[in-house]
Amino acid sequence: MIELNHITKWANSGGNRVFLLRDINLTVKEGEFISIMGPSGSGKSTLLNVIGMLDEFNEGEYNFIGQPVHELKEKHRSQLYKSHIGFVFQAYHLIDELTVYENIETPLLYQNIKSSERQAIVADILDRFNIVGKKDLFPTQLSGGQQQLVGVARALVAKPKLILADEPTGNLNSKQGEEIMELFKQLNAEDGVTIIQATHSERNAAYGSKIINLLDGRIEK
Amino acid sequence: MIRNYLKIAWRNMVKNRLLSIVNIVGLSAGILFTFVISAYTWSELQVNAELKNADRQYILQSRWTGANMGYELVTIAPLAKALFEQYPTLISNYYRFDGITSTVSKGDKHFRESFQIGDSTLLRMYGFSLLHGDAQTALSDPYSVVLSEDAAKKYFAKTNVVGETISIENFSGAEHDFMVTGIIKNHSRNSVSSLLDDKENQFYLPIAAAQFFGREMVLWNNAHVVSYVELQKGVSPKQLEEPIRQLLKKNAPDFITLNLTQYLVPLNQYYLSKDNGLVKKMIYALSIIAFFILLMAVINFVNMSMSHSVTRLKEIGIRKVLGGLKKQMILQFLTESIVLVLFATLFAILLYAVSRNYFSSILGKSLPELTVFPLSFILLPFALALFVGTLAGIYPALVLSAFKTVDSLKGKLSTVKEKIWLRKTLVGFQFSIATIVFIGAIVVSQQIGYFFSKNIGYNKDYIVSAQVPRDWSSAGVSRMATIRTQLSALPQVSDVTLSFEVPDGRNSGSAAIYKVGADSTSAVSTQFLNTDEHFASTFGISLKAGAFFSQPGAFTDSSTVVINETQAKALGWKNADDAVGQRVRLIGRTDIYTVAGVTNDFHFGSMQESVPPITFVHVANSQVFRYFSVKLKPGDISNSLEALRKQWAVLMPGAPFEYKFMDETLRHLYKTEIQLRQAAYTAFLLALIIVLLGVLGLVSMSIQRRTKEIGIRKVLGSSVTNIILIFIKEFLFVIVIAGCIAFPIAFTLMQNWLNGYAYRVQITAIPFIISILLLGTISALLIALQTMKVAQSNPVKSLRTE
Repeated sequence: MIELNHITKWANSGGNRVFLLRDINLTVKEGEFISIMGPSGSGKSTLLNVIGMLDEFNEGEYNFIGQPVHELKEKHRSQLYKSHIGFVFQAYHLIDELTVYENIETPLLYQNIKSSERQAIVADILDRFNIVGKKDLFPTQLSGGQQQLVGVARALVAKPKLILADEPTGNLNSKQGEEIMELFKQLNAEDGVTIIQATHSERNAAYGSKIINLLDGRIEK
Repeated sequence: MIRNYLKIAWRNMVKNRLLSIVNIVGLSAGILFTFVISAYTWSELQVNAELKNADRQYILQSRWTGANMGYELVTIAPLAKALFEQYPTLISNYYRFDGITSTVSKGDKHFRESFQIGDSTLLRMYGFSLLHGDAQTALSDPYSVVLSEDAAKKYFAKTNVVGETISIENFSGAEHDFMVTGIIKNHSRNSVSSLLDDKENQFYLPIAAAQFFGREMVLWNNAHVVSYVELQKGVSPKQLEEPIRQLLKKNAPDFITLNLTQYLVPLNQYYLSKDNGLVKKMIYALSIIAFFILLMAVINFVNMSMSHSVTRLKEIGIRKVLGGLKKQMILQFLTESIVLVLFATLFAILLYAVSRNYFSSILGKSLPELTVFPLSFILLPFALALFVGTLAGIYPALVLSAFKTVDSLKGKLSTVKEKIWLRKTLVGFQFSIATIVFIGAIVVSQQIGYFFSKNIGYNKDYIVSAQVPRDWSSAGVSRMATIRTQLSALPQVSDVTLSFEVPDGRNSGSAAIYKVGADSTSAVSTQFLNTDEHFASTFGISLKAGAFFSQPGAFTDSSTVVINETQAKALGWKNADDAVGQRVRLIGRTDIYTVAGVTNDFHFGSMQESVPPITFVHVANSQVFRYFSVKLKPGDISNSLEALRKQWAVLMPGAPFEYKFMDETLRHLYKTEIQLRQAAYTAFLLALIIVLLGVLGLVSMSIQRRTKEIGIRKVLGSSVTNIILIFIKEFLFVIVIAGCIAFPIAFTLMQNWLNGYAYRVQITAIPFIISILLLGTISALLIALQTMKVAQSNPVKSLRTE
């Protein structure tokens, strides 16, 4: 599903070239659950952003479901990730001005799905996540765990093949974190969704089927 | 999708209440001014537009070969009628009138009113409709009169007054009853019922009434009649040139045939282009001001949106991650700004309704009520909102949506920071405009102050003028002389003069004057003033040499004249004393006049023109007069006026005492300048509001950006004052630069404006200093207030935000 060949990314800082990613080679098959580990600044987020096509890289090749991402134009790229990738963030990144319902609905709006269909899909997912009663609340009225639940629901609503989660439990207490990780495991096992998560915690990383360790932008073997 | 945009737009507005209100207030100020000027322009363009067959209505104008031969506005009395009768294929209708002023009485109501003695075609030609009466017959009986609705209400307190009578006085003092035969329904402004100024003519008399007033409209040497014609369809005004020439050649005396060219001006252009296009110029000037004010408001909006972008950046990032395209982001931002502008527009409409009267008084024209506009205008606010909203929203939308997704998610404002110079430039631009408008307002005020200062050459204080009944005969003059003596005997009165003119720029006429013994080709043009010997003492005009006709009260030889200094010089007397006792002649007259005195120059008319040569002729000689001007003694003015009114009623029963202070007369003379001053101050006020809102936005942006810096400075021991000063300094720089740009522009503009006046103030440094000090102080205060809170807050808090 994902094939990264010799991906390198750098930034220029005061005349010096600082490498964020160095020669990353990674293959992810459909249905895998991968945990990326590493200390702060090791490049976890950058790697996820590159995989999610939110960020660009300077060298290397990236194939996503057989499409050469490095050759695609911005518009096609956004088309690609829009329909195949869902994102979950450490800071939830819900839109404060929108209700729970509207937050979940937004990705569908951007995919031009009809109103009646949208309603059905959102109702489904609200039901599945047990948050029907909260659908008219605003993010600020929810606890952190509930917000992240909405975040995961929003990532899933467009039925993506791949979920990218950047420290999804970083802002949560251990109980809430466990619930989210259980959810991921369930999604991976029952729905066959591919998941790549970045995490600090050994315990959370253990939920994955494969662990990759990053240090200073390199994959440690 | 659009519903979604609207919803978010609304929630964002409510969430950032302060920002929204500031934005809406600033924008509505700009939009309000645009509305006011548009409404003004529209109503000026409406003048004459609603006349029947407006595109075929013309007014006849006269071009004379010499400047003092006749008036442009009026023409040969029988010309229009003859054209209609002899060239029916060219002319489909005509209307002529002779404008006069006299006293109207009904019971104990006496007022001076203006009349049009004119053709009965008036009532059918222009689409005026009669509330009461019959348009076919209303203007046929010599003693019939047609009133406007307002006049009927004024004299009878109702409009259905057909068959009632009013009494009108003629020029020899006789009164006659006139029967009301029609009431004209109120109609929109046009150059038939209000030709000279905005005052509607209220009384229409039939041609047959001319005899009662000693007027006539049949002689070909009468060049004092206003004439309108309606052309047949498809006829161009050029086709009339030859027929007019033929008619004049056949009928008019040589003097007219040789010197007069008639031309036609379409009524739908006449109003805008008369008085050298005064109305047009005013429309252009105001439109430019309105454009800049709106531009300032839009710039503000852009600045405000940008300064608030941090909070929106994250949202944009999320939306992009969720699959939103750049195009969709732009659309969302545009929706928001359009919705906001729409609110501002609606608010501006509300403000318009509330402030209509205020702006009407500033512009000196009544602005139309909202209900007067055609229904299709309802689309205009929406079109405006769409246009201004797009204009104001497109820049923030483009900038914000162009951020890299990852950067926006982190709320990085680095790129925005780099563009701060752009925002500073924009605010600087606003400061420049505000400074220019303010300097302009001050200079215009100074010039107006000059108009009313001692430099006018006479003392205007405590002088009231009122028109007297007209009896232009030697008996009439001596009766007035007696009344003058009795009025001046009042203890409250210091002096009284009888004259045809008061210093309002309008005199009876001009002629060419030359020295006896010199060749008549050396004659110079002179303006006549018809006064008695008390004019100089009443108005405080000082004499350079000789006497003003004679010692007051002494006998005045009818052959004496008084001239002003300019006249003396024009005739070649370098020293005023040389002129006294000299004899002069007028071209076209056999009489010889002796110069009794030379006055100092004074401003009879507007300071736009230099003082012309003036010749005073005694009223006993010319036997024309209109005004008593009374110099009151300082003290209780209202008491003095009451005493004067009583004495007036006793001495001249039935004559209305409608007085005007000289100040009022001058205000009327400088009406345009005073309106300009008002408009400039209003524009400055709006510009100030907008510029301050702009500062508010930029400072809040600056504070956001520098919160951490403030925290660090405070930790390092900086005082509150020091921190406030940092922000003020940042802006002082902008203001100084803006001033440097504004000064030369303002100087050039005002120099240009002042050059239109023969007598003007010099531009000093004062307006420049005042404007920059005022703007600087107000901005500094605003910034201090705004930064106070941040400067006082606990540094731990601000440092934590990073």
